[in-house]
Amino acid sequence: MTYSSLLFMYGFLPVSLVVYRITPVRLKNMSLLILSMIFCIMDSLRLLEFMIVCTVINYLDGILIDRFRSRKIVPEVILITGILFNAIIFFMFRTDFPDIFRDRLKIPDVFFPVGVSFVTLTAISYITDIYRRCIRAETDIVKFSLYMMMFPLIIIRPVIRYNTFRRMLNDRKTTLSDVGTGFKIFVKGLTEKVIAGDIMYMMYKSVISVDIWEMSVVNAWLGMTAYMLSLYFTLSGIADMGKGIGYCYGFRFPNCFNYPVFSNSIKDFYYNWNIQIVYWFRRYIAKPLYELCGNRMYRKIILIVVWCCIGMWYRFDINGVIFGGITGVAVVSERYIRKFRILKITGIIYTYVITIISMVFLSGENITGSVNYLLVILGGNSIFADSMTLYLLKYYLVPLIVCTYCATNLFRSMVMRSGKNYIKTAIETVSPVITLLMLIICTALITYTGSSEFHLLRL
Amino acid sequence: MKISEISGKITALLIFTVLTAGFILTITEKKYNFSLKENRELIEFPEFTLSGLTDGTYGKQLNQYIADHFFGRDKWVSAQADIKMYMGEKILNGVYMDNEMLLDAEVSSREISKKNIEAVNKFYGNYIGTVYFTAIPSNSGVYGDRLPEYLLTNPERNQINFLYDNLTDGIRTIDTYNILRMLSDNYIYYRNDTRLTSYGAYYVYKTVIQKLGFRPSSYDKYTIQHITSDFRGNLYNRCLYDGTKPDILDICSYSGGAEVTNCTAYCNNGMTYRKTLNDEEYLESGDMYRMYMGNEEPFVRIKTSVNNEKKLLLIKDSYADCFIQFLIQHYSEIAVVSPEHMEKPLSSFVNPDNYEQTLFLLGIESMDNDRLFELINK
Repeated sequence: MTYSSLLFMYGFLPVSLVVYRITPVRLKNMSLLILSMIFCIMDSLRLLEFMIVCTVINYLDGILIDRFRSRKIVPEVILITGILFNAIIFFMFRTDFPDIFRDRLKIPDVFFPVGVSFVTLTAISYITDIYRRCIRAETDIVKFSLYMMMFPLIIIRPVIRYNTFRRMLNDRKTTLSDVGTGFKIFVKGLTEKVIAGDIMYMMYKSVISVDIWEMSVVNAWLGMTAYMLSLYFTLSGIADMGKGIGYCYGFRFPNCFNYPVFSNSIKDFYYNWNIQIVYWFRRYIAKPLYELCGNRMYRKIILIVVWCCIGMWYRFDINGVIFGGITGVAVVSERYIRKFRILKITGIIYTYVITIISMVFLSGENITGSVNYLLVILGGNSIFADSMTLYLLKYYLVPLIVCTYCATNLFRSMVMRSGKNYIKTAIETVSPVITLLMLIICTALITYTGSSEFHLLRL
Repeated sequence: MKISEISGKITALLIFTVLTAGFILTITEKKYNFSLKENRELIEFPEFTLSGLTDGTYGKQLNQYIADHFFGRDKWVSAQADIKMYMGEKILNGVYMDNEMLLDAEVSSREISKKNIEAVNKFYGNYIGTVYFTAIPSNSGVYGDRLPEYLLTNPERNQINFLYDNLTDGIRTIDTYNILRMLSDNYIYYRNDTRLTSYGAYYVYKTVIQKLGFRPSSYDKYTIQHITSDFRGNLYNRCLYDGTKPDILDICSYSGGAEVTNCTAYCNNGMTYRKTLNDEEYLESGDMYRMYMGNEEPFVRIKTSVNNEKKLLLIKDSYADCFIQFLIQHYSEIAVVSPEHMEKPLSSFVNPDNYEQTLFLLGIESMDNDRLFELINK
């Protein structure tokens, strides 16, 4: 079940809110867990099995690390076993080749546990934190299960650490106004996914439907911009929907996606793109490696390697590595460039060009396809624009501009900077109406098929 | 109380009411098995099975069920088309929406099935009479220049040429594409459907009947009867876009000419019954076009008062339905075969060799169906 489906919006969500509301306080966690299980079952029973296996193994792993803390070597062995388990799960579902595991376990090829990439990162951070003595292992299986498989977190989650989650879980209280804020965020996410994400996806699709060797330069740029926006709005939309649902149950999850377009450096761009993922790789991969070698030169190499890993997390093949590599090299080298004082606009243009080039590798079907597309983007076909360009501009220019504007923080910083209270009051006053309107529009847009699917990446 | 709190509370109550109301209305609303507007069966409440739950089909079906029986579904879907048009997005469920006419946007993804070509060639090899073949373009073929260029990587003209080039030389192919293209300023195609109007069918008839060796009757001789002006066709069923005008269905009758003396339908289960050529009862159904030729049967034998002992075997799809009314002036017997509805081989309905002429008259859009002609040779 996806959040942007009629079954979820007009079935599961209102029913689960009522059920949660009428459960007595001491059973609230339990009811949330049962609801999450039903959410998983609606996807498939296998997803539930998968989640339970992941939860139980990591739960036991955490407890064992705590238990044998005083011994030598034993905690390390348990930790590595746990990390290996999660890594195998990740590889098993994100790549095609390890059929050995899938065949042994009789997992059908079509099954893909949604959010597996996030679950494995979450689990690794949990057991590593216990090993590092940042937290004690959770003994309450219900609480830990919620951390792993709570339904607002299942699809795309901020990879928060367990102590942050535990604090939220224990101090949460839901007021009516929180539910309202939750709905606002949910509908915002829905709009991002169903309107912005899908329309940009259509634009990208129409660009790539022509033969690659007949594509003009402008089309290639427009197409990749549409891809980037579509990916951003899809991921951000789902994350926002999850966050909004979290608010309805009293969880205040942090933002993952934070208006990256018009950043003036690659680093800013990807920090605003999905900050939680960058933090995770910095904390659990880069830091330990830095501790091993302090040499400045090595550190730069490590940084690039870590970016390659992030790239591989997004897309587990050579394209992902190249995507990460380009970003990593840009992040390292822009430190030198930034010493020269440059205008903000040059920074924005530079960031745009580099992100588009890296996105070519994230989007392509395979490495050849991406290299070909890159050639076209650099003018390899020596066609600047054609009739298709006119068509694209005629029908997609306005959506493209609106989507680009919505993916920047211009509006937010304008409100913040103005400092005028009446602007905030005005926004608060009209927000219920806008929320309702958007909900109705999005419902109309998904009624035919019943849901708005996730097209681009499987994370 | 702060303004943000009030706003939050109002939003909470408002949205929760809408979601709950949507839920309750969807469960309580009367359920139909068939959507007249979309002309398709709606899915039934999915049966609970463990295997469905395991592989996730149960959840998908449940979502589809909610979508099919969502309260006011028709209005929501129509609204979707309007919203998409406002946003500049003109393609919905493979239909290109334009206020002038709806077009099939997936025309280029069609692939002419080699199996069909082989089956027709084989049919010709075993047959003693003359075989004629006409592939009729859909409206996206004739009005293709209305579509954005990127949707026309494989235009219908090429598909028809490919088909004709691969048929054995002895099969007489009849080109209708260029004639229809020349007449494209006239009302020859429905605005909401891929198929020809009676007027368009007349021009196809005019070309085809000359090749078959007759002199076509003039259009003036026909009495045109407007049956309805509310026809919405197969393209409308897919997008429910109301911006395009509904279409007119016409029946053309030849005054003082030959009449149908007997029209018998043969079903797959061996039953036969008498029917009329046109069945106006279908105007109340989701598919008004069925008014021509009525219920779809694999085989229909039409006998007319023409006294010339000429017999025609017509192998057709729904494109030919409004074309048959013109043929009855020329043949004493027409055997109408719909291969897409046949479940038994052709020979169990009729012996083709009893007919000196065989005419294949099909929309090019049917030709990508691999299994279309699999029973005509057995």
